[in-house]
Amino acid sequence: MRICNRNRVAVFAVAASWLFSGAALAAVDVDGAKALAKQNNCFKCHSITTELDGPAYKKVAEKYRGKATAENRLIEHITSGEKAKFADGHEEEHKIVKTSPPKDKAQIKNLVQWILAQ
Amino acid sequence: MHRRPNVIHRCWTALKRPSAKHSLLALLALGFFSGIIFWGAFNTGMEATNTLEFCIGCHEMRDTVYQEYKETTHYSNRSGVRVICSDCHVPKDWTHKMWRKTKASMEIWGWLTGTINTKQKFEAKRMELATREWERMKARDSIECRNCHSYDAMSSELQKFTPYKKHMEGMAAGKSCIDCHKGVAHKLPKEYEEPM
Ligand code: HEC
Ligand code: HEC
Ligand code: HEC
Ligand code: HEC
Ligand code: HEC
Repeated sequence: MRICNRNRVAVFAVAASWLFSGAALAAVDVDGAKALAKQNNCFKCHSITTELDGPAYKKVAEKYRGKATAENRLIEHITSGEKAKFADGHEEEHKIVKTSPPKDKAQIKNLVQWILAQ
Repeated sequence: MHRRPNVIHRCWTALKRPSAKHSLLALLALGFFSGIIFWGAFNTGMEATNTLEFCIGCHEMRDTVYQEYKETTHYSNRSGVRVICSDCHVPKDWTHKMWRKTKASMEIWGWLTGTINTKQKFEAKRMELATREWERMKARDSIECRNCHSYDAMSSELQKFTPYKKHMEGMAAGKSCIDCHKGVAHKLPKEYEEPM
């Protein structure tokens, strides 16, 4: 009976943490993400729906749909200044996102989650 | 009532007639030197208001825009050039400077009446303040930015390809810095929407 109870607690804990992470995923702060993108000139090269110099965010979301590594890949993409390939074939360092306070992981993660949710 | 013009007339002739006691030359000299002192003090006063310290003397400026500006390139950068409030906000030429300072009296009024004396009030009014500033800059083709930057001085080799391309297109289309560079020194107002 004791063990049984402990198991039940364990199952409950796992379920609760699933629910919790689910809630965390759903709770993208849309206004915060858009504000950060505006402040960083992301929309000078990206739109949500149409191709500008950079790919539409809907396209990006499609490309990464269902891929477990998506989030980390994109965080790397917008923080490392890695080379980005433009439509005309030339390459240049991709924009590095700036936050206030500087290098705020939570804000960067939120922005990436918002992009992936398009 | 009919005596009034008389009084005015008498005063006027007295003013017109040079004083008997002092020579005209002495009076002119006095005027000249007091003029220098007046304008000197006036301009020193004007210069004093052009320092960073003056602008952040009010918490309305210090707790909000100043904190944001401190995280931007114009505050600290690899070149060691600090761009201060007045570089972007106060015109350099006399007429526009006077006009801006006169309008700045509104800030004193705002300060006295507390238009933006809390964070909430500031955020609520930010779009209005920013819009005023955008219009002012646009009207003079971002002259304050161009006091330091210019399209001509941008190097096609040192500037990244895309910004350079956008700058040359912008120049050809008669676009001004502020058309594309809003929020360079502060957070954008939350109501601001990017023109798509
Ligand atoms: C100067 C133009 C420009 C700016 C500014 C810009 N991007 Fe990009 N971005 C690109 C280009 C071009 C690509 C395509 C890169 C490639 O496929 O190699 C890209 C790709 C991306 C991708 C997809 C990467 C992938 O792996 O598919 C994301 C996400 C992204 N950008 C986000 C951002 C964010 C966030 C900002 C603002 C902080 C931003 N971009 C600012 C041009 C830009
Ligand atoms: C006496 C306190 C005080 C000082 C000192 C002060 N400000 Fe302000 N400032 C304010 C207040 C209050 C407002 C809001 C005015 C309103 O509500 O219309 C404001 C508004 C502004 C605006 C918004 C644009 C506009 O047209 O209203 C700018 C830009 C600005 N200040 C820049 C400066 C600069 C640059 C300095 C230094 C030269 C400075 N301020 C010094 C209190 C001050
Ligand atoms: C007093 C001189 C000065 C004034 C005025 C000035 N800048 Fe700058 N600006 C600089 C310097 C210096 C740098 C580069 C610092 C570095 O990279 O070492 C810079 C960097 C920049 C950058 C690139 C870095 C960033 O913040 O994204 C932009 C964009 C920019 N300025 C736009 C503007 C605009 C728009 C205005 C007018 C509202 C303006 N500047 C007014 C001196 C000035
Ligand atoms: C047509 C729009 C447009 C106009 C007009 C414009 N810019 Fe830019 N500028 C851009 C874009 C887009 C970028 C890249 C933004 C980014 O990467 O965050 C940029 C980048 C810059 C940079 C950084 C360059 C670098 O190598 O990192 C500076 C400095 C700058 N602009 C200054 C100015 C000044 C000064 C003016 C006015 C004389 C001006 N810009 C007018 C669009 C414009
Ligand atoms: C590099 C140029 C630059 C510098 C330096 C700068 N500002 Fe600004 N400021 C702007 C621009 C451009 C705007 C118009 C709104 C925007 O684009 O963010 C603005 C807007 C403002 C506003 C209106 C509210 C808002 O956030 O839009 C205030 C108040 C202000 N500035 C005060 C200051 C003070 C005080 C300082 C010095 C601590 C300062 N600024 C330094 C360029 C600058």
